Amino acid sequence: MTDAGNDDLEPTVNTALGPRVEAVREAALDLLASLPQRPERLRVRAADVAVELDWRPMPTPPESPPHPAQHASAEQHPPEAVSAAPPGVALDGRVGLHYVCAPTIGTFYHAPEPGARPFVAEGATVNPGQQVGIIEAMKLMLPVEADRAGRVVEVLIPDGQAVEYGERLLALGPVESIEERTHSHVEEGARRQPR
Amino acid sequence: MLKKVLVANRGEIALRVVRACRELGIASVVVHSTRDRDSAAVQLSDESVQIGPPPPKKSYLNAAAVIEAAMRTGADAIHPGYGFLSEDPDFAEACEAAGLVFVGPSAAAMARLGSKQSARTLMAELDLPLLPGSREPLDADHALSLARRIGFPVIVKASAGGGGRGMRVVNAPGEFLDAYRETQATARMLFGDGLVYVERFLTVARHVEIQILCDARGNGIHLGGRDCSVQRRHQKLVEESPPPRLPPGLIEEMGQASLRAALAVGYRGAGTFEFLVAPNAAYYFMEVNCRIQVEHPVTEMVTGIDLVAEQLRIAAGEPMSISQDAVAPRGVAIECRINAEDPERDFAPTPGMVTEFVPAAGPFVRVDSHIRPGDMIAPEYDSLLAKLIAWAPDRDAAITRMRRALTEFRIAGENVRTTREFLLRVLDHASFQTASHSTSMVAELLGG
Repeated sequence: MTDAGNDDLEPTVNTALGPRVEAVREAALDLLASLPQRPERLRVRAADVAVELDWRPMPTPPESPPHPAQHASAEQHPPEAVSAAPPGVALDGRVGLHYVCAPTIGTFYHAPEPGARPFVAEGATVNPGQQVGIIEAMKLMLPVEADRAGRVVEVLIPDGQAVEYGERLLALGPVESIEERTHSHVEEGARRQPR
Repeated sequence: MLKKVLVANRGEIALRVVRACRELGIASVVVHSTRDRDSAAVQLSDESVQIGPPPPKKSYLNAAAVIEAAMRTGADAIHPGYGFLSEDPDFAEACEAAGLVFVGPSAAAMARLGSKQSARTLMAELDLPLLPGSREPLDADHALSLARRIGFPVIVKASAGGGGRGMRVVNAPGEFLDAYRETQATARMLFGDGLVYVERFLTVARHVEIQILCDARGNGIHLGGRDCSVQRRHQKLVEESPPPRLPPGLIEEMGQASLRAALAVGYRGAGTFEFLVAPNAAYYFMEVNCRIQVEHPVTEMVTGIDLVAEQLRIAAGEPMSISQDAVAPRGVAIECRINAEDPERDFAPTPGMVTEFVPAAGPFVRVDSHIRPGDMIAPEYDSLLAKLIAWAPDRDAAITRMRRALTEFRIAGENVRTTREFLLRVLDHASFQTASHSTSMVAELLGG
C-alpha cells in the first residue's frame, strides 16, 4: 500500500464510475481525513477535476466536534491531535503556515540526546529533508524531517511529550516573508513509515 | 477485574467492546486511523489515540503503534476484536512481552489452531472427524495424485487462510495443477505463507459452528451451535442459532468434541469450531477461529450470555460467570449482515457517504452498527454496515420478525448499495424457510 498522501490516488476497480472520478473521490476522502476540522462545504467535481473546500475562519475553533466522553489522555494532551490545536497555541487562526506532523505515534524529542542542542530553533530556516526532531516509538528512534523548506515559526510540542500520528509538531512559515497570507492553506506533514 | 482496555479495532466490533467495557465499569481506549477519528467508537470511548493513516497496514495492523498506545494510556489489556491483529500469534506474544493482557488465547494455542494444516493434524490425533485430505505439505504432483484418490470435486485451501479467502474448488483433474499453483501464489501474497492443503469438497453441506468459552483455570463450556450456510464466495450473509433440523444430540456431540480439542491445547477465551455437516448428518471439522466472531450475537440472543463480557472476565483471570448447566438456549435468533455491497455486481463494495440511516427497532430486534448519517464508508475497510438480529420463540416467527425488521431498515447514500433487499430474497426462499438450504444457496439464488 502507499502512503495516504496526495499521491495515494489508487482508483478502486470495483466501481462503475470512471477511474478519473474515482481518483478525485479518493483524493477528496484523503483530503477530508487530513483536515484540521470538518469543512463547511466540500465540492467535488469530476470532469475537470476540481475539489473545493470551504470553512469559516474561526479565531478559536469551538472545541472540536462534540465528544461526550472526556477524552483525557494520560499525558493531558488533546487526543484529537489533528482536529484541534493544543490549548494555548494560537496558531490555528494564522494562515500561510505549513505544519510538520508526527509520522507515527510516540514521544517527540527536540534534540539527539538529553542536554544536546536541539535540531532546530525557532526562527531557523530548514531545508526539505532536514532533521527537525526524533520520535521514539517502541524503543525505536525515528527521525522527523521537514518535508519542505521554511522558517520555523514555532515548535508546538514540548520536548519529551507524547504525540499521536499526524499531530502538528512544528509550524513552518515562508522563508522569504513573515507576512501572514490571507488564504487558508493546510497540508499534512511528513508521512513516513513508522519503520 | 481489568481497569482499562484498549480496543484495537474499528467499526461495529470496536463499539461492541466499548459498550461491554462500560457495562463492566472498565475504562476503554480506542485506537483509530485518521479516517476514523470521529467514529462512534471513538466518541463513546473514554479515550482515543490516533495511530496512523487510513491504510490498515499503517494503523490497525501496526502492532508497534497499538502497543505504544496501550502503554501510554496505561491500559492493562488489549481486545483485538475480529480481523486485523486478532489471530496473529506474534501480536499476542508482543502484548504479553509488554506486560499487557491479550484478550484471547495464548500465542502458543493460537499458533497451534490458527494454521489450518496444523489444526487438522491435531484434530486427527484427537479423533475429530475430518474430510479425507492431506495431512502434510505436498508438492503439486503428489497433491494431484492424492486428489485423484479422494475423488473430485476437491477444495484447495491456504493453510493460513481466513475470512473465506485463499480457497478454490476444483471439479476435475485437468484443472487441478493450475488451481493448486494459483492458490499457493494467492496464499503467499495474502497471508505471506504459501502452504496449501487439499480435502474433499462437499457440494451439498451445511456450515455449522460451535461457540466455546474457556477460562484460564481449565474450565470450558460450549454454547451451542450456529448455522451459517447462507454464504456467497465463502462469506457469511445470514446466521442463526440453533442450527435448524439437525438430529437430536448432534450439537451436544460436536460441542463436546470441540471442548476436548480446546482443552487439549490449553485454550483461553472465546473460540469457534467450524464444521461441515453432510445431508446424512455426518460432521467434519474444518477450522478454529481464535477470536470473537461477527455472528456472536445470535448465540447471545438465545443463551442470554454476553460473550464479550465473558471474554473480558476470562482475560482478567477470573472464572466464567456461567457453568455448562446454566447454558439453556431458548428460541431462535437470526442475524442478517447488511453490507455496503451491490449484489447485482457480484457483491462489489460500494464506498460512499451514508445520507440516511434509520435502523430497524421494535420488540426482540437488535442492531449492532457503528453507522450514523453523514458517515463515510471508506474503501480501505470492510463493507459491514450493520448486523440486524431478530429473536423469536420459534424459527418461523423469527423469520417473520426479521422480514419485518429488514423492511423497516432504511440506509441510503450516494453510490451506496446494500445487501438489504437481497437478504429479503433469501428469507423468502422456500429452501431457507424449510431449512433445507445448503452452502450453495446464494449461488443458486443468483443463478436464477
